[in-house]
Amino acid sequence: MLPIEIRPDQLADEMLQYSQKLGKGIENLLNASEIDAGVSPKTAVYREDKLALYRYEAPAGAKQRNAVPLLVVYALVNRPYMTDIQEDRSTIKGLLATGQDVYLIDWGYPDQADRSLTLDDYLNGYLDRCVDFIREAHGLDRINLLGICQGGAFSLCYSAMHPGKVQNLVTMVTPVDFKTADNMLSGWVQHLDVDLLVDTMGNIPGELLNWTFLSLKPFSLTGQKYVNMVDLLDDPEKVKNFLRMEKWIFDSPDQAGETFRQFIKDFYQKNGLIEGTVHIGGHRIDLKDVTCPILNIYALQDHLVPPNSSKALKGRTGSKDYTELAFPGGHIGIYVSGKAQKEVTPSIGRWLNERS
Amino acid sequence: MTSSASWTNEWMEMQQKYWLNWADASQRLFGQQTTPAAAWGNAMENWWQTLAPATGSDMARGFMDKMVEQGKFFFQMAEDLAGKMQGAAGQGDWTSALENATASLKDAFSRLGAGDPSVHKMFAFWELPFDNWQRMASSLSLVPGDVLRNMPTEGMRSKLDRVLGAPGLGYTREEQGQYQELGRAVVDYQETLAEYLGFFSKMGVGSVERLQWLVKEAEQKKRTIGSARALYDMWVQCCEAEYADRVMTDEYTELHGRLVNALMRVKQRMSVIVDEYLGAMNMPTRRELRTLQDRVQEARRETKRLRSELDALKKQLAAGATPASPATAKPARPAAPRKKAAVKTRGTR
Repeated sequence: MLPIEIRPDQLADEMLQYSQKLGKGIENLLNASEIDAGVSPKTAVYREDKLALYRYEAPAGAKQRNAVPLLVVYALVNRPYMTDIQEDRSTIKGLLATGQDVYLIDWGYPDQADRSLTLDDYLNGYLDRCVDFIREAHGLDRINLLGICQGGAFSLCYSAMHPGKVQNLVTMVTPVDFKTADNMLSGWVQHLDVDLLVDTMGNIPGELLNWTFLSLKPFSLTGQKYVNMVDLLDDPEKVKNFLRMEKWIFDSPDQAGETFRQFIKDFYQKNGLIEGTVHIGGHRIDLKDVTCPILNIYALQDHLVPPNSSKALKGRTGSKDYTELAFPGGHIGIYVSGKAQKEVTPSIGRWLNERS
Repeated sequence: MTSSASWTNEWMEMQQKYWLNWADASQRLFGQQTTPAAAWGNAMENWWQTLAPATGSDMARGFMDKMVEQGKFFFQMAEDLAGKMQGAAGQGDWTSALENATASLKDAFSRLGAGDPSVHKMFAFWELPFDNWQRMASSLSLVPGDVLRNMPTEGMRSKLDRVLGAPGLGYTREEQGQYQELGRAVVDYQETLAEYLGFFSKMGVGSVERLQWLVKEAEQKKRTIGSARALYDMWVQCCEAEYADRVMTDEYTELHGRLVNALMRVKQRMSVIVDEYLGAMNMPTRRELRTLQDRVQEARRETKRLRSELDALKKQLAAGATPASPATAKPARPAAPRKKAAVKTRGTR
């Protein structure tokens, strides 16, 4: 018996099947021209420059709302509709179902006019004004924050700078130690001349970020994925779901140059979040200043933010109520997988409801 | 859509007959020059080239391109390897056949690293990471990424160093200097790019060795790889594992940094020259625009700060100058105004 035994007639048959799937699938592919994303009804309640603050509508028959609203702080990289990408895979929907009153910041697409925006502008400007808007609308001192990925690092910094405005903090797949041995992204930026990059490009193009993310698993993400898709082509709904995800992956806004400069240098190259060397708008970020209850959720198969990078938060804050939740999945799966809908969002809802 | 659908159906029927004939005559045809995979690739290419212009969606076109391309690759690979193994089966020595098959793959990877353009197409799949870089570099550049890749590098540095090191003369000496800087940056980038490609070719050799090992393991465990798809998946697994190991090394992270930095230096020199021309034509330069952007941003910050203070003062007045409630007290920055508008906006887009 040979270890590789593919007879010519078997190969021909396999080719025929592949061609047939492609031939049949072209119809579904062409019919799926309009790709929608962001399924839950929402209203823009506050706008500033390119930012929009949305409030999601409570679903009919939802249980009584948590009196403390929840603000979702997404990363500047990629678009926040990942959290609400399709009807049966929506973190937002899951949170609403647990009775949370959900707000979300959409940072928009920065252009060259936004090149000079700094982390101070984003955190002590935009984010702080969104928090104040919600606090005021609800007549509360403090609200709940849920930070995602880079948005989680932002939420930690914000909570350290404005501890009096945050009731509870949930961080999801959030990098804290930016120099763990298994952090591929971190390794790649250590020798980058960030000043040269930002001074040359102004804003950092989304294409550069796409390339970086695809380079984490290039053969799977730019080759094998499309072969796998051939098997899904006969199902119009699966095709649409695949295209929706594809749209999200390549929907990368440019990054405001000055913010990118500071984030890469201070967080990635100097590991300043755990070293206590990050300064934002005159504040030194000390994680010990984060005193509110924290729920830290990480993904065990995360190739963008390795679990150890997130778990580094434990013991580094001033919080007396720290909880960790490990999710058996990846960086994206934590929002879109069926398992995440059953495990992650209900856990967040329960944790918040117990503390609000 | 109807016409393309019927076209597709006709093509499918035709294909079915075509492949049935192939299957019947497979043993006879396998040794011939036009292999099934090559014929399949051509058939797919023709079908898709005919149909593609009729498709209205760029996205759909892009996907089909990728699926056809990957299909061609994995059938070709399966055919090559399986063919060599089958050939050796008659002689009862499949390990030598495997050694030979993988040796030719390794040799091709080495030629890829040495810049042999004839093997680029053959290794389109393995070049995926590099191809991604080329696309990204092209999107940031006035010239296609491939232009710099295919220029000869050997001995170029020493020749160019003399030319690029010569001092500028006369009225245009500064301009000459700018072009010399650009020239040096281009040569640097090109050399780093060649080094990057060389690194990838070493990774290719490592991936082949992993595949070899997995095939031997399959034999020991009495497992058979019985489809092109299974072989392709195994190959992807080998490539990803080898890639993951190598891109975390100091050697790679340093090279990665140098590559991006080198590209940025080329772009920076181009920007300087473009700025010189724009200035000469009395048009706004990038440098000037950035100064303006910085000033505008500073003015935006100031406006927002003043507006917040004004809002806070208005609230205090409205509340009869009593101290602000906790919800509106803002030690660092004054709070947003209390208005019940459906959408509140501030600032400009």
